[in-house]
Amino acid sequence: MKKESFWSKPGTRSVLASLVAILIGMLAGGIVILIVGLTNPSLGIKGAWEGIRLVVAGLFATGRDATGALTFGFNPVTFGNMLFRAVPLIMTGLSVALGNKAGLFNIGAPGQYLAGTAASLYIALSVPTNVIPSWLVWLLALLCGMMAGAIWGAIPGMLKAFLNINEVLACIMTNWIAANLVTWFFEGSNLKNVLEGTKSGYIYKTATVMNDIVADGVASTVGANVPEGATIVATRGGIATSKLGLDRLFAGSQVNGGIVIAILLAIVIYVLLSRTTMGYQLKACGANRYAARYAGIQDRRNIVLTMALAGSLAGAGAALYWLSGNTEFFWSTYQSLPSEGFNGIPVALLAINNPIGVIFSATFMSMLSVCGQKLTELTAFNEYITDVIISVIVYLSAFMLVIKTWISRLHKGKAVNK
Amino acid sequence: MDHEQDYVIEMLHITKEFPGIKANDDITLQLRRGEIHALLGENGAGKSTLMSVLFGLYQPDQGEIRKDGKPVKINNPNDATALHIGMVHQHFKLIDVFTVLDNIILGAEDTKFGFVQRKEARKKVEELSRRYGLAVDLDAKVEDITVGMQQRVEILKMLYRDNEVLIFDEPTAVLTPQEITELMQIMKGLVKEGKSILFISHKLNEIMEVSDRVTVLRKGRYIGTVVTAETTAPELSRMMVGHDVQLVVDKAPAQPGDVVLSVRDLHVPSKLYKHDAVKGVSFDVRAGEIVCIAGIDGNGQTELVFGLTGLEKCSAGTIQMCGQDITHAPIRKRSEAGISHIPEDRHKHGLVLDFSLEQNLVLQTFEELRFQSMGFIRFGEVRKYAERLIEQYDVRSGQGPLTVARSMSGGNQQKAIIAREIDRDLPLIIAVQPTRGLDVGAIENIHRQIVAQRDAGKAVLLVSLELDEVMNLSDRILVMYEGEIVGELDPKKTTVEELGLYMAGAKRQEHAEGVRA
Repeated sequence: MKKESFWSKPGTRSVLASLVAILIGMLAGGIVILIVGLTNPSLGIKGAWEGIRLVVAGLFATGRDATGALTFGFNPVTFGNMLFRAVPLIMTGLSVALGNKAGLFNIGAPGQYLAGTAASLYIALSVPTNVIPSWLVWLLALLCGMMAGAIWGAIPGMLKAFLNINEVLACIMTNWIAANLVTWFFEGSNLKNVLEGTKSGYIYKTATVMNDIVADGVASTVGANVPEGATIVATRGGIATSKLGLDRLFAGSQVNGGIVIAILLAIVIYVLLSRTTMGYQLKACGANRYAARYAGIQDRRNIVLTMALAGSLAGAGAALYWLSGNTEFFWSTYQSLPSEGFNGIPVALLAINNPIGVIFSATFMSMLSVCGQKLTELTAFNEYITDVIISVIVYLSAFMLVIKTWISRLHKGKAVNK
Repeated sequence: MDHEQDYVIEMLHITKEFPGIKANDDITLQLRRGEIHALLGENGAGKSTLMSVLFGLYQPDQGEIRKDGKPVKINNPNDATALHIGMVHQHFKLIDVFTVLDNIILGAEDTKFGFVQRKEARKKVEELSRRYGLAVDLDAKVEDITVGMQQRVEILKMLYRDNEVLIFDEPTAVLTPQEITELMQIMKGLVKEGKSILFISHKLNEIMEVSDRVTVLRKGRYIGTVVTAETTAPELSRMMVGHDVQLVVDKAPAQPGDVVLSVRDLHVPSKLYKHDAVKGVSFDVRAGEIVCIAGIDGNGQTELVFGLTGLEKCSAGTIQMCGQDITHAPIRKRSEAGISHIPEDRHKHGLVLDFSLEQNLVLQTFEELRFQSMGFIRFGEVRKYAERLIEQYDVRSGQGPLTVARSMSGGNQQKAIIAREIDRDLPLIIAVQPTRGLDVGAIENIHRQIVAQRDAGKAVLLVSLELDEVMNLSDRILVMYEGEIVGELDPKKTTVEELGLYMAGAKRQEHAEGVRA
């Protein structure tokens, strides 16, 4: 057996293809910045150059110095925020990637994400922490979030398995059902933030401490400051994901232990897919449903299982994001689906459905959004420039196979020249 | 040949080669005006290729086509239509939600100011319908009418376009016996009105009944043209099958033991049509014998195997495996009960083409404790097992166990499947066309393996379309025709001609059950 050279390995080619896609995306973004800059007198060539630098290295932007020039260096806040925002993307990316491996296009991640959002927020804000320790409530909220996502994923799975309804169609419909259900659910709940007057339309942050009190025979809910003479019936909230010391590494950022959990889950999915009999079955069903059935693998059960698992991952993504303590959920979601859900698709595409690759592609996507933020903060450009980059990359992901063929042709050409 | 004859179509010395195969090798077919000319041959004999050449779908490498004695060039189906050549395909080309009338005029509509002139079209179709005795309901939707009427619609389509040469491609495959009789009458009526018919079939009794002359093809070559009245069905069968070099397999007489598989009155639904594809089949397979299901493709063999292995649900009847009832058992249970299955379609069912060879070799067995512990695959064991099979069954591939199945040659893919199925060491092996598309060396190898399994006391159920394979390998032959077993034959006492008669439905045994007392 001849040992393959590093360059001819399929894995190398896949990674290279993704990098080429990213590179072209960045180039396209650069061109857009250049055009916008040159056509806008307030920006000019200098502004365009600043914009390009920020898109490429916005992660390291630290602001402007006394002369007004951009300064760069290690910025713990942006770094930490990038990691924090990567968490839901890793999870929805895993969700989509798992479906793809089993031959199912899980475009239902937004709905599953919303189901996870509602369940985890409800548990975190309703279970009294004076009865059950807050760490347990946190865990319960995470698990319920995953469970809700799983159920929401299993519905299109069952429709596909037993009624042969296309999962894409069922997923899109369940997405909107989730959006309306969640809105309706929170509208009727007592979890709307009334303690902070400016926060209308939002649910309480999970870190908020609420006390249900009875004062002079009248029941009410107050914040941490309980008026004199009132009896505390229950204390709720005060839930936040442990920082695991990451706040010291990235001081001032939102990062917490969620990123560690997300990476661990990615590793679990990787092991599941590559080393277990279950992963073998899922992949067999995805690669050739007929052969799987011929071999006695229950393809229907596998479809439901895959969708439930994928849903639980998206649900976990939602739970990890909202349980951070400082994030606020705008409960009226019926008009728009969470972008975290849809962004799982490019994340998975860019990672070629490899769970470990998802960690990197999600982090990259989150870096782009941080760069976009820096762009608006420091220049007159707006953050939508980074959306251009993302969309170009998504387009190119679809051409990944073509890019791979280019690479292997290039490599072959070289081999002949030698 | 006499040149006095009035030939409407002549295809002279047609040769058409595809990469690796000569589909038509110097074939001559002359169709007289006003005759029904049958084109007979086994699957893969080159009938379809020849008709595709006539219809302009393929260009011949050599040879000439003449219409009314003048050379013509047919570059595409439109040219064929312009020459008034029409075809009724085996699978009808009708639009289900359109009415019969709309289907007939579709593509040849007369329009005035962009509006379809249905009234005149209706008049013409009604006139044709009366003249040729083709009863159709012009306003019914195609989805609501019977298959027989759909065929009449197809025929009317050809007549509406004033076609003179009508090609019927296996027209009886989808019809009931009554509808077949009716079609025969219609065909006779058409030639009386001056049309000429090319009738493609491999059913001898129909050919004997309806045709004036028969041209026989075998393996892409022209065997001969005979006048139907001067020949017999056995003679045609011999021409169709031929006496080619036979691969002789050394094997001792069978020593049948206990009944392993017992099938009673089995019915299996058809995927394509509304009736059952397998209609009440009963037979036994014993340990130490090779029972072969012979028959022309599409007579229910595929569905029978699907019913036995669980890929399709049986609609009635029972299947017993070593005394255990498995009629409704899921596939995995049947496999555990002792059925191994070498599938007909190795790319669809046999292999996960994007998996490596070693992953494919444990497709059914990956959950056994030797290959997993606590749900984790024991890669070392899988590798060792794969290496042993590759060695033992001589499966050749570029990168051994890690070769992606897709990149392997067809013969080695099949060897891998056979290795996997035989090595599971189960009492029954169901092998469906195990040598299809393979070269002589690979065929010999596979035949030897199957005989060795029989000698080791396995029951073997072989489904084959190759007559040589059927005659050489089997200990007992069951012939399937239109979903039923029409004969049980002993390969030592029968001839290929007789087998051919059974396969073509020209002969049948009463109470042919395949069950031995």
